[in-house]
Amino acid sequence: MKTRIDDQSKPQTMIQEKYTKRYQNLKVAEALSNNHLYPFACNELSSIIDLGYSQLPKDLKAFIFRDCLSAFRLLPDMNTSAAVSAANLLVKSVESAFPKQKKNLAIVEFKQAKVALKRRTKSHDEHIDLPSLPQDILVHIFSFLDVYSLLSSSQVSRSWNQATSEGSLWRSLFDLHFSHKVSIHIHPGFDWREAFKNEYILYKSSKMLRSGRGYCSYCDSVVWHDNLRCPKKQCRLKSGKKPLDLMLTHQVVNYLLGTTSSSDESDSEDEAVRGLWAYPTLQ
Amino acid sequence: MSEADMAIIKPEMMMKSYIWLETTDGSIQQVEQEIAMYCPMICHEVLQKGLGAGSSKNCAISLPQRVNPAMLSLILDYCRFHQVPGRSNKERKVHDEKFIRMDTKRLCELASAADSLQLKPLVDLSSRALARIIEGKTPEEIREIFHLPDDLTEEEKLEPLKNLMDDPRIRLLNRLYAKKRKELKEREKLKGKEVEERVDERSVDDLLSFINGKDHKVVKTSKSKKKNKKRKEHKNKVSHNLHSKQQGVQIVDETASSLGGVSNLLSMEEDIFSLKTDSEDGYVDDGMDPVLKEMLDREVEDFARRLNSSWVLSSGQERQPVHFSINGNGATRRLTGTHDKPFCQG
Repeated sequence: MKTRIDDQSKPQTMIQEKYTKRYQNLKVAEALSNNHLYPFACNELSSIIDLGYSQLPKDLKAFIFRDCLSAFRLLPDMNTSAAVSAANLLVKSVESAFPKQKKNLAIVEFKQAKVALKRRTKSHDEHIDLPSLPQDILVHIFSFLDVYSLLSSSQVSRSWNQATSEGSLWRSLFDLHFSHKVSIHIHPGFDWREAFKNEYILYKSSKMLRSGRGYCSYCDSVVWHDNLRCPKKQCRLKSGKKPLDLMLTHQVVNYLLGTTSSSDESDSEDEAVRGLWAYPTLQ
Repeated sequence: MSEADMAIIKPEMMMKSYIWLETTDGSIQQVEQEIAMYCPMICHEVLQKGLGAGSSKNCAISLPQRVNPAMLSLILDYCRFHQVPGRSNKERKVHDEKFIRMDTKRLCELASAADSLQLKPLVDLSSRALARIIEGKTPEEIREIFHLPDDLTEEEKLEPLKNLMDDPRIRLLNRLYAKKRKELKEREKLKGKEVEERVDERSVDDLLSFINGKDHKVVKTSKSKKKNKKRKEHKNKVSHNLHSKQQGVQIVDETASSLGGVSNLLSMEEDIFSLKTDSEDGYVDDGMDPVLKEMLDREVEDFARRLNSSWVLSSGQERQPVHFSINGNGATRRLTGTHDKPFCQG
């Protein structure tokens, strides 16, 4: 389904440098400072480490180590439970694979981050009442959100729930995800949210979408997609309405290391999809 | 805002012309005209109402409700920067990114205020910032950040559909009842027979008259009185009623005066009765009435028992009303917090 660069035929020593370069192109570190992408970047790091940290070329090890440290240092800025669980996962990988010195350094960093996080959550105890936002502003805010965040928002409170039922939101999401595949007959009173949901379930996009990654054939690279498009402007112009091929974490790692390991996640797509609409979780 | 209009206005006033703006709290301030005119809403006001508008303290332009003085000064700062034509796009972007760094509460206020002043670029900026905050968070986290109440029922959370019921308080109440129902079912299994006998209305009547030593009719007239009140009040009363029963019970305990306790109970029962009439009118969900009656009957029965027996409450009984109010979600607490509790004297 996706074109993958498979290097299994080449001798290992020759492709050492290639790994490092590929890793740099993946721009994992950049995603760490993004609130939304932080968990995915951490998962990629964990997977890479789990797959065989010891066999990596020396400079790649150094990069990975550096990025792990950044991940822990940035953890207090990420105010989500998804970030915390991703960091926990990363620390487990670190504990099992890293050599002693590096491991200790990383763990110290992690512990400091946890302390800072605790301090932050404590200071958040003001019981002030925020002004209630009018509906059209809520809708405007939601127009900038991705599917998951929108569904999360719909479960927050009554007024937010009402705002998320606005058809235009789902229409633009539908356009974004499916317009190149599906043509729709619109009639007055058409429920865009239902349409979106049906297509979503049909195309089983949930897991792919959650990784934040896509493969752009125009620049031949794995990127963090910006609303399902390549962040590079030229690629966006060339691709038009067509979204990227989405990728899962293990596929990204395979791409990097030239391996063909299968995912650990259960392939119960139905469960995942139902889960999305009941209560979206990021992992 | 056309160039021609600006040209007309300027020569007639001093070099730096000012507009007077009034916020809803009554404070009036003077603002440079070119800055204020950057806001479309102010611009329209000036143009529509003629050149006199905003030209002096007396005819200051009154700003929409959502613009408080703090927000006004923020917005004016924004306008002050952007209305200067000579700035590059990059400069503006850098300024915006710094400008937008504030806590969530102020961001919300800013978005509201900018929207009412129709200042679209600022609305976009603040909305994007808020969207970035929301992105990737779970509902609970979002609620925490925005201090929003968790007032959706479980069913609503499972399926993102449009709500069928319009009155939010009914929904709230339904949720409370659903919880109470669960508790009742559990207790049913433990207690067994007692519940089944108390299904019909008559037993409540009997108990009431027995407790209060008054006529049926008195109770019924108060019932008809309540019928005329709005439903909303009823719902509110009952939900906090059940909560305040805990207080009522304690008062009954402490004062140890039968009259006080009885009158408390009477008014409580009236409310329950009025809820019953509502439920008979069919406003509450189907399949609820027998359960609701059951619940109410048991509460009434408990009170009857308490009044007749000694004033000392066993810990097991005491837990009943307490259980409910503690288990009530944040919404319950909010509801009871906002209404006066006629029963508890502190």
